Amino acid sequence: MENKEPIIEFQQVDLSFGSTKVLNKIDLALDAGKFYTLLGPSGSGKSTILKLISGQLQADSGEILFEGQRINHLPAEKRRVNTVFQNYALFPNMNVFDNVAFGPKLKGLSKDEVRLKVETMLSLVKLADFSNREINELSGGQQQRVAIARALANDPEVLLLDEPLSALDYKLRKDMQQELRTIQKRLGITFVFVTHDQEEALAMSDWIFVMNDGVIQQNGTPEDIYDEPINHFVADFIGESNIVKGIMKSDYLVHFVGKDFINVDAGMRPEERVEVVIRPEDLDLTTIENGKLVVTIEDQSFRGDFYEITAQDDDGNQWQVQATNSATIGERVGLTFDPEDIHIMRFNESENDFDARLERYEE
Amino acid sequence: MLVNKNKFSFTRLTFYSTYGLWLLLFVIAPLMLLLWQSLVGSDGHLTLQNYQTFFVSGTYLTMAFNSVWYAFIITAVTLLISYPAAYIINSLKYKQFWLLLIILPTWINLLLKTYAFIGILAKTGPINQLAESLGLGTHQLLFSDWSFIIVAAYIEIPFMILPIFNSLTDIDPVLEQASRDLGANRWQTLKNVIWPLSLPGVKSGIQAVFIPSLSLFMVTRLIGGNRVITLGTAIEQHFLVTQNWQFGSTIGVVLIIAMVITMLLTREK
Amino acid sequence: MLKNKTAHLYLMVLFTLLYAPIFFLVLYSFNAGTTMQGWQGFTWNHYQELFSDYHLIEIVLDTLILALLSALIATIVGTVGALVINRQKNRVWKNTLLSLNNVLLVSPDVIIGASLLILFTVCGFSLGFVSTLFAHIAFSIPIVVLMILPRLQEMSHSLIDAAKDLGANDQQVLSQVTLPYISPGVLAGFFMAFTYSLDDFAVTFFVTGNGFTTLSVEIYSRARQGVSLEINALSTIMFLVSIILVLFYYLINQRANRQRKNKLTKIVLPGERE
Repeated sequence: MENKEPIIEFQQVDLSFGSTKVLNKIDLALDAGKFYTLLGPSGSGKSTILKLISGQLQADSGEILFEGQRINHLPAEKRRVNTVFQNYALFPNMNVFDNVAFGPKLKGLSKDEVRLKVETMLSLVKLADFSNREINELSGGQQQRVAIARALANDPEVLLLDEPLSALDYKLRKDMQQELRTIQKRLGITFVFVTHDQEEALAMSDWIFVMNDGVIQQNGTPEDIYDEPINHFVADFIGESNIVKGIMKSDYLVHFVGKDFINVDAGMRPEERVEVVIRPEDLDLTTIENGKLVVTIEDQSFRGDFYEITAQDDDGNQWQVQATNSATIGERVGLTFDPEDIHIMRFNESENDFDARLERYEE
Repeated sequence: MLVNKNKFSFTRLTFYSTYGLWLLLFVIAPLMLLLWQSLVGSDGHLTLQNYQTFFVSGTYLTMAFNSVWYAFIITAVTLLISYPAAYIINSLKYKQFWLLLIILPTWINLLLKTYAFIGILAKTGPINQLAESLGLGTHQLLFSDWSFIIVAAYIEIPFMILPIFNSLTDIDPVLEQASRDLGANRWQTLKNVIWPLSLPGVKSGIQAVFIPSLSLFMVTRLIGGNRVITLGTAIEQHFLVTQNWQFGSTIGVVLIIAMVITMLLTREK
Repeated sequence: MLKNKTAHLYLMVLFTLLYAPIFFLVLYSFNAGTTMQGWQGFTWNHYQELFSDYHLIEIVLDTLILALLSALIATIVGTVGALVINRQKNRVWKNTLLSLNNVLLVSPDVIIGASLLILFTVCGFSLGFVSTLFAHIAFSIPIVVLMILPRLQEMSHSLIDAAKDLGANDQQVLSQVTLPYISPGVLAGFFMAFTYSLDDFAVTFFVTGNGFTTLSVEIYSRARQGVSLEINALSTIMFLVSIILVLFYYLINQRANRQRKNKLTKIVLPGERE
């Protein structure tokens, strides 16, 4: 993998709309055959990256490479990349067959080849019997499948998906997530998926880029990003988090809420101010005597497989707890957690420094 | 409910009768009278004689054919000029403003614009002066087929651009991006995606230009002289000059039929 | 975004051609000569001529009065018509009414003119100001209806339900809920009717008779006799007035657009009446 050239590479890519900076010095490299996700809130620049790859937008500066070739100014129709648009963008004047056949026909394939291609793609998305349907006769989920088939019919090296599932209901979205993953594995091409739904990103991706304010905040496997968020934004955006202020007394010893705790982080300056993250599912309720922290239960709601509990410690910090057993509102209880559940985030640490530090103390 | 029933139905009655009276007196009655006139012979009896005269005489058939032919050319010229214009305007940043500029001339009295062309196309007008200075000589531009077609097209262009522009604006710009994304260049996108989707606008544009072009008579008289005779000039001739209302009405009915056929051909599915 | 230079050139040429005749008229209104041929220096003479031509000024005033009066009445009847059409529950009946409404909108002017001429004559109505007024009201009503209907259709029925729930009777609903809501449409309708009337030539030509004339008809008869630059001066003034009217209309539209958010009102053209 190491010596293989990335299929898509961004080097210091900048883009502004008027006075608004949309992308700020973006560097990224995508390997062929993987499922990538660009994750971030709306306006974070994730769709903009997609449009730069597809050629709908042009970068102000920086390099965009496709298999090592500069493609900054290559028109959209010449790129070996296809897009599944957010609202599908199916041509309303054509039926399902003609929509999927659009690209193959333009390539000048023969009638039989076009038919074969369309039929293959439609059966890939499980719409084999729908080729004569009009677009407005299809449900949202079916339109979605046609859009995927249409993009794939062009044999792209990279498939770009711009929040394609956001218009579907919960159940359908879950099914489509699995199916997209299956299709990607079967075809073995690169998928770049844009979403603001962290759950979706964690479930589908090989690799995630978390974006905010036109900057890539952190990238890594879903596990990396969930377990070791680099900063407040990522911790808050990915999953639910309890974030409190703390001080690193020394390596493997952190001080917060008036107490010292043993943890597994190192490499900071002594007495450095940090933020401490503990995930709600890592906290357990216990007796006051056994508790590492003592809190008062404020609110509780049943969520099916757990209780979502809000509690407050004596310093006034709020704690979200996902507990298997219920509690009583107003009751004082103890909270317990393991040293490895404590995640430390430094202020203003860049992704490179973060990675370097992790590597250093893990050796 | 505490609604005062009497008052309510009184309002309702006034509304229905006001609008109904207009429909009856000014829409239905005049058309019926026109039809009735066309069926009255010179002796005052009901007859199909007028229609017989129209369809048997070569003169009137030729005139009707010419009228349709001119209207066709005017419509084609207008469409050819207007579609690219509408397409370009739709791609501009301040498109509503540019559209307004296209439309502005339509608010200027038609007579005045036609009158301007009399000056422009005259023997000593600017066009002939330009031709003269280029060594092309002076030509009789007024009272020719082409001057009539040019002036008519000039007048009709905004009426063609507007509906086409409206249907182009309604097309989701993402469709254009999708087409490019799937490998179509700009021309292929225009041909396969944009043009089919803008057809409703083209059709209503054709409707808005073809029907009035059939019946132009003022432009015909002032610019075309007596070279060009359309259904419109013929009707005016019979009503206001020769006072043969029966035959004028007959031509009117033929014009209405031509209009209905045009509308059926260009109606939306 | 289109970056194509030829595209912009094309537009520029088109705009030049569209405006050339108008500027030609305006330019020659200042010509010291007496015809639209050959520039002989600058003068205001034709404007003085125009302002001392009481006959022409009277015609202009008559035309304006006719336009205002016909637009006013057409707006009232048209509003009533839009309400009536909108209230129809039966689809067939509603479409029939709409089609009848649109007949005068799509009919060629000569047909309207000729058929109204027959109507007035059959009824023994003498031709003049009143017959012209009736004709203008008749052909302006459909456009008023068409300007108002879309607003009535997009008006949520829950507004009316809410007003009734709060105790308003049908008349109060009409005057306090419906009319204020559709007022931009009514105003636009009035404006369209006004320009229709000002612009009309063909219908008027059929029904004016001898005693009464409008500007269009007057220009037509003068243009056939030979051109006088007094008409150019008048054109210039009318051009300026038109621009002001269009801007006014544009503002109404803008305001209406703000109310209904993002949804752009399609600009409607005045009738291409001869």
